[in-house]
Amino acid sequence: MDIIVNPFISLLTLLYSLLGYNMVLAIVVFTIIVRLLTYPLTMQQMKSSQAMQKLQPELKKLQEKYKNDREKLSQEQMKLYKEYGFNPFGGCLPLLIQFPIFIALYQAIIHVLAATPMQLLDLSGRILLPGFDQIIPLNNMFLGLNLTQPPHIGIGALETVVGILLVGGTVVTTWLQFKLTTPAPQPSEDGKPNQAQSMTQSMGTIMPLMYGFFALSFSIGISIYFIVSNIMGIVQAFASGRADVSNLKIFRRPKPVAVTAGTTSNATPGKIEGKAKPVSSGKSNTANPNSNTTPGKMEGNAKPVSSGKSNAAKTSKKTQQTDMWK
Amino acid sequence: MKKSNFWKRCGLFAALIFIAPLLAACIGGPTTTTWGSLSLLPGTDNILFAFGDKIVMLDPTDGQPVPLLDEDGDIRIDDSGNQRTWQVSTTSGAPAQFFTAPIQISDETLLAVSWDRGIFEIDIPTARLNDPSGVSLGAEVQVVANSLLDNDLLFVPYSGNNMSARSMDGFDPVWTLDTNQGVWSQPLLVDETLYIASLDHNLYALDPDTGDIQWQIDMGGAMTSAPLYQDGYLYIGTFNRNLQKISLESASVVASYTTNNWVWGTPALVDGVLYFGDVSGYLYVITDDGDSFSDVLPPRQVATNSIVATPLVTESSIIVGSRDKNLYWLDRETGETTATRQMNGEVLGNMLLLQPGENSDVNDDIVVVSTLTTSELVVAFTAENGERLWVYSR
Repeated sequence: MDIIVNPFISLLTLLYSLLGYNMVLAIVVFTIIVRLLTYPLTMQQMKSSQAMQKLQPELKKLQEKYKNDREKLSQEQMKLYKEYGFNPFGGCLPLLIQFPIFIALYQAIIHVLAATPMQLLDLSGRILLPGFDQIIPLNNMFLGLNLTQPPHIGIGALETVVGILLVGGTVVTTWLQFKLTTPAPQPSEDGKPNQAQSMTQSMGTIMPLMYGFFALSFSIGISIYFIVSNIMGIVQAFASGRADVSNLKIFRRPKPVAVTAGTTSNATPGKIEGKAKPVSSGKSNTANPNSNTTPGKMEGNAKPVSSGKSNAAKTSKKTQQTDMWK
Repeated sequence: MKKSNFWKRCGLFAALIFIAPLLAACIGGPTTTTWGSLSLLPGTDNILFAFGDKIVMLDPTDGQPVPLLDEDGDIRIDDSGNQRTWQVSTTSGAPAQFFTAPIQISDETLLAVSWDRGIFEIDIPTARLNDPSGVSLGAEVQVVANSLLDNDLLFVPYSGNNMSARSMDGFDPVWTLDTNQGVWSQPLLVDETLYIASLDHNLYALDPDTGDIQWQIDMGGAMTSAPLYQDGYLYIGTFNRNLQKISLESASVVASYTTNNWVWGTPALVDGVLYFGDVSGYLYVITDDGDSFSDVLPPRQVATNSIVATPLVTESSIIVGSRDKNLYWLDRETGETTATRQMNGEVLGNMLLLQPGENSDVNDDIVVVSTLTTSELVVAFTAENGERLWVYSR
């Protein structure tokens, strides 16, 4: 891990010296740089998980069909992946690369803030740039606040305001990032709620609260990192066109009452489109005789009559990626 | 929300809260705040050891906690019928963490400044806190280094960005020195001037009564140890990779010795020779030539990790503790390693050299060291050859 943490610590120290010995600015710029550097990996992973999500209905059918023959199921799954040019491991590698990077980023901030003698001693020998270790320890005070300490809400006016802003900022940005990058729950074809997606939505409530709790318990410096990292995640989601604003409850339109079930999308073979969406009557698209599902072609979303526009395009921008700091 | 969903969410939330610290622990990084402190109870050779949530008094002959005696000289018995030993910990609220040496303020009272919960008075005969809640030093105030008591003032260095003088009557602040960073070293009082070495690179000379700054010098690097005073000069190691000599008369640096890495601890001065280590494990044995230093022994990497504690110097040996979990005996004449004693934990805290004397029960010179592991919190060796005498563990 040191092989990543030490260069990060060095970069953070360099930024600190370049940015007027301002630790907050250094953390902000450092987080932005690392998020930008890992952007291609983030995108690759988002694309992969999105493609995987779209293949789910087909996979489910295969699972049903070959539930007693695992070998055949495996063969058919691979065939399906091949047909759509999907690499099932394509999303794992970027995630595996990103995970240690974000842990290292978090650790670098903890190390550089060096709140205790053990942490400061542990910092010796980690700065790879000659001469820069002499500016250690970095000044961890900002606006009279100690960045190594958790926010002290209720102790002083400044502490309280900053504490509320940090905790609130962490909760709100975590929630926003989660909502913008995670698809809304969609019941499965049999009309029952999709358990995995329900769990994902539960996480959408729990994660912001959990990170709010962390912001309250961890140092102010780490809270700043949480917020900047979230904002970068949101910016990246918008920049890549994968942010789904309709997922935010405040922007979500009421569900239409009347729908036309089984509308076929314009999907062409070899191109993954959105998944079948249940109609308000509770009937699934597959049960509808009008449904025109063909092999090599994913069925389109049932669309509200009033909208006159396929949800498929909308759904294609959704992703299961929960792009947190981890 | 359905009931089952609610409980599911609660369970998930609890699991995540539980997993997070586990993950943080797996990620690694230092887990303890700092290291323990060894000192002697004045007038005796009993060892006081402050580490974590306890301060304990040990018998130097066997390393056992000292039994508590009543007025008749009988061993005190607790409610469970067990013998009471001299051990102090806080009982109200979260346990206070102790890392600094207690200060004796009267025959029967010790003062313990905790890392996080303020000041506590300890009744020596009963080993009980006079006020279990202690006296708070304020929010966000943490204390890493030993405080200094002079007459009616207690000088307390804070790990944040200041230090203060506090009245012994109620511990109210008399004055405060604001520094840009923390003070992690014990203040030093010489001829009515208080010297403060700070992490903000400055060495401050203050009026101890008012806190007025008489002068300050930018030392070019942070300082984590108290300066050593000798004949009108201060000697102090810095993170600027050097040991500096400061003239108190001219308030300026008059000599500097370059090291391989940060110098964390205070040097030892024996027979005109300075002994100190750096965080790369190098040991330096130098002499002061007035406006420069010269090597008595060539600098040598004795240990594979940091040397933080001040080395001990006996008639024939230099004894060095290291973060590499070893204690080294080096020949004082040649600097060659004559013995190495492996420990279970890192040796970072100050070491004690106890010698036979009027008030002492020890028969030979013994070296007492502390480590960061509970299985070997305090260990004693013979100073001559490093024979292990006893171990105190929790």
